[in-house]
Amino acid sequence: MKELFPAKQVGGFVFSLILTGVALLVYYFNMSRAVGLTILTLTAFIQAAVQLVVFMHAREIEDSKSVFTTIYYAIIIALVTIFGTLLCMIWGWNY
Amino acid sequence: MKVDHSQPLEYSTEQNRLNILGFWIFLGAEIMLFGTLFTCYFTLVNRTSDGPIGAEIFEITPVLMETFLLLTSSFVIGLGIHAMRLGNKKAMQAFFILTLLLGIGFLAFEITEFITYYEEGATLQTSAFTSILFTTLGTHGAHVSLGLFWGLFIILQVRKRGITPVTANKSFIFSLYWHFLDVVWIFIFTFIYMKGLTQL
Amino acid sequence: MGYFSRFAVPHPSPAIYASMIAIAVTVFLIIAGITYFKKWIYLWDGWITTVDHKKIGIMYLISALLMLFRGGVDALMMRAQLAVPDNKLLDSQHYNEVFSTHGVIMVLFMAMPYIMGLMNFVVPLQIGARDVAFPRLNAVSFWLFFMGAMLFNLSFVIGGSPDAGWSSYFPLAGNEFSPHVGTNYYMISIQIAGIGTLMTGINFLTTILKMRAPGMTLMRMPMFTWASLTTCIIIIFAFPVLTIALLMGTMDRLFATKFFTITDGGMDMLWANLFWVWGHPEVYILILPAFGLFSEIIPTFSRRNIYGYTSMVASMVLISFYSFLVWTHHFFTMGQTAYVNSIFSITTMIIAIPTGIKIFNWLFTMWRGRIRFTVPMLYCLAFIPLFTIGGVTGVMLAMSAADYQYHNTMFLVAHFHNVIIPGVVFAVLGASTYYWPKMFGFVLNEKIGKLAFWFLVIGFCLAFFPMYITGLDGQARRMYTYSEDTGFGPWNMVATIGAVCMAISFVLIVYMIYYSIRNAKKEAVSDPWDARNLEWATHTPVPEYNFAIIPQVNSREAFWDAKYKGHPLFKGDYEKIHMPNNSGVPFLMSLFFFALGFGLVFSMWYLAICGLIGVFICMAHRSFEQDHGRYISVEEIKETEAKYGGTHK
Repeated sequence: MKELFPAKQVGGFVFSLILTGVALLVYYFNMSRAVGLTILTLTAFIQAAVQLVVFMHAREIEDSKSVFTTIYYAIIIALVTIFGTLLCMIWGWNY
Repeated sequence: MKVDHSQPLEYSTEQNRLNILGFWIFLGAEIMLFGTLFTCYFTLVNRTSDGPIGAEIFEITPVLMETFLLLTSSFVIGLGIHAMRLGNKKAMQAFFILTLLLGIGFLAFEITEFITYYEEGATLQTSAFTSILFTTLGTHGAHVSLGLFWGLFIILQVRKRGITPVTANKSFIFSLYWHFLDVVWIFIFTFIYMKGLTQL
Repeated sequence: MGYFSRFAVPHPSPAIYASMIAIAVTVFLIIAGITYFKKWIYLWDGWITTVDHKKIGIMYLISALLMLFRGGVDALMMRAQLAVPDNKLLDSQHYNEVFSTHGVIMVLFMAMPYIMGLMNFVVPLQIGARDVAFPRLNAVSFWLFFMGAMLFNLSFVIGGSPDAGWSSYFPLAGNEFSPHVGTNYYMISIQIAGIGTLMTGINFLTTILKMRAPGMTLMRMPMFTWASLTTCIIIIFAFPVLTIALLMGTMDRLFATKFFTITDGGMDMLWANLFWVWGHPEVYILILPAFGLFSEIIPTFSRRNIYGYTSMVASMVLISFYSFLVWTHHFFTMGQTAYVNSIFSITTMIIAIPTGIKIFNWLFTMWRGRIRFTVPMLYCLAFIPLFTIGGVTGVMLAMSAADYQYHNTMFLVAHFHNVIIPGVVFAVLGASTYYWPKMFGFVLNEKIGKLAFWFLVIGFCLAFFPMYITGLDGQARRMYTYSEDTGFGPWNMVATIGAVCMAISFVLIVYMIYYSIRNAKKEAVSDPWDARNLEWATHTPVPEYNFAIIPQVNSREAFWDAKYKGHPLFKGDYEKIHMPNNSGVPFLMSLFFFALGFGLVFSMWYLAICGLIGVFICMAHRSFEQDHGRYISVEEIKETEAKYGGTHK
């Protein structure tokens, strides 16, 4: 039975739950926008990284370089799109 | 079909390795797909017109339940893949079935949540904000629903054909998909619900 | 009659009725012809169910040529309408429909499949592979593109064509201002074709990353393969944006959501934003493979290796990344503040740098080369100066302050035709002449080819250079007519004459193909141009397994070195070859997609749901199917190779 529950994955799961808990702090305590958003962003990205490395075994595939390039590139382009759009549609808008 | 026994079953043939890399690249496209939805969400989030704002309709309890269910299902399917690598077909199937049940639980909560929103007057047509909210959540929900069928097919195949290079490959790719849906949910949880509820 | 009235064309004219009859007659003749010559089984076994990348490539090319004809007729109608002031040939509604379909068809259903077709045919051969990574998916991609194109063209005779421009800006494209189903066709047919394109991107990226011949490192890949690689990366990250934009647009039109509305918080500008977040990278999806093709043709006909290989690769990688940083330059005049426009002005101008590097590299490749003026090379030679003019006017447009003068004028129209025609169209025409012998086993007639080339180049200059002038003078694009006082009349007449020259060139190209089929010497020529890369190392016609023995690569120009420096390319003995099986499911699935799309266009929900269920059944079938492919035995390989005259060693 024990070999079915590897420590790495159980640890990853517990860590994910803790990170969710940390994100919840933003809900239960009043904090400034900057602090709140920083906590939320950090917990989200760390949790995503845990999924990628612990659960999705992104590092063990022989093409892991291609995999990480794809993922990083996707994240960069997605962020460019999000912030570029906000820049055009909201922040850089006079009227 | 050349089988390389030095590698885990899911990587053991050339076609298997192609499939896994191809699926990772597809996930890159999926990141962009959800990235675009988030782009639109952030652009439209304050454009609520006469409709409700997020903080008025979001409730923490169902959201936490959904998060917990999906997070657990992601963990369980990881165990399923681990069992598969051990060659334990029974445990693998059990974990996969549990994953899908958790997925169904997630969907049940999400559908109830949607019904509540409708009753509170936040429909798909109310405002730009509700339109993009339902579309973003709905796209994720549609992915989960599709995953339920896909996962079911794979369980049936493993049951009938056993753990072979082909079924192991399919199961592993399905697990990638399922974990990815959890990753997307993390961002939905954080940037739609938490950000909306706290009005940051 | 009430049920069928929805299929009526809202603005009928004799031309549309004539086309309906023409289409009906053509379809009847095709079906009758295939039946008479008993070709149904050949068509089904040989083409419709095929998963062979070469045949799929050729099917892409045929569809692209058909669409070039359709888009070209649209162009001629526009030019005829604008030839003289106050012309009454087309009314404004028809003119709107014509420029909308011209744009969509030329970009999405002509240029894209042309590029995809060449990629399909050439890339696996260039990297020494036997097929793509996912042959079945490749067939799905093609058929989705094909059904998308068919659905889009159907709008002409059933329900009415889209009329909101190829960019379909909201609120014009919303239900209020575009009440008939034309824009539904736009949203849904592009969606279907776009899904196919996304799959092609994933397929070819995996193929190029994983299936290269032994010894072919990334920095030994041929230029066209590099161009395809960067293109695939753009496709993978740009097309999901289009998917979402079209989904939102469709929902706005069918389910009254409030994304791009004027009321209830909707933001019409968001459509323009999303459209160009996809649309600008799309431009580079078209031009990068074209650059790759020029980089194949120029070295061959200059008898020199490509100059500055590393900088060529670097500039393509940079362009593929920069292409995502510039989209706002398409709507400088929408109202963002000057500092936002300045940012995107600068990013746009930066793209000119890697492009300039490429231009110089091509020039240096030809420098002191022994140039042969064949048809493909002529296209390259005309490309360089003309594309440079297009690029320079692009930099003019990139200056956001000055753009207020050019925006939405014929100057812009001239600019983007000036990059797309010498860039993409010259490339694909040159490349199809170049690769024709590999595809069909004979060389196209040079004389007629050269005549067609000159008509095209002169026609192009006559058609588009006047538009720079009238555009600067203020002639707006998409206006169906203009008054005599504007003085645009003579210039527009010149442009129309140019368009006619281009049409003649198209006719000559068709005649060249016909003439060459009849008269060309059908001897197997595996390397007619004395070329440099692996695609020429196999037989003509290419056997279905491409290479009997996978080539060994140890330089950038493996085939050239094999020919002239004695590097052995094919080592070892024949082994049995694993090949994928044909399948009719991709075609069937695309038919279900067609039904789904047609149902959505007309809000016929039962049909749409049936189509969707059909798509899911096809996917489920694929999941349960046990298809391990088949093997070609060593005896069969020996037989085939002997027939073609043995493997080069």
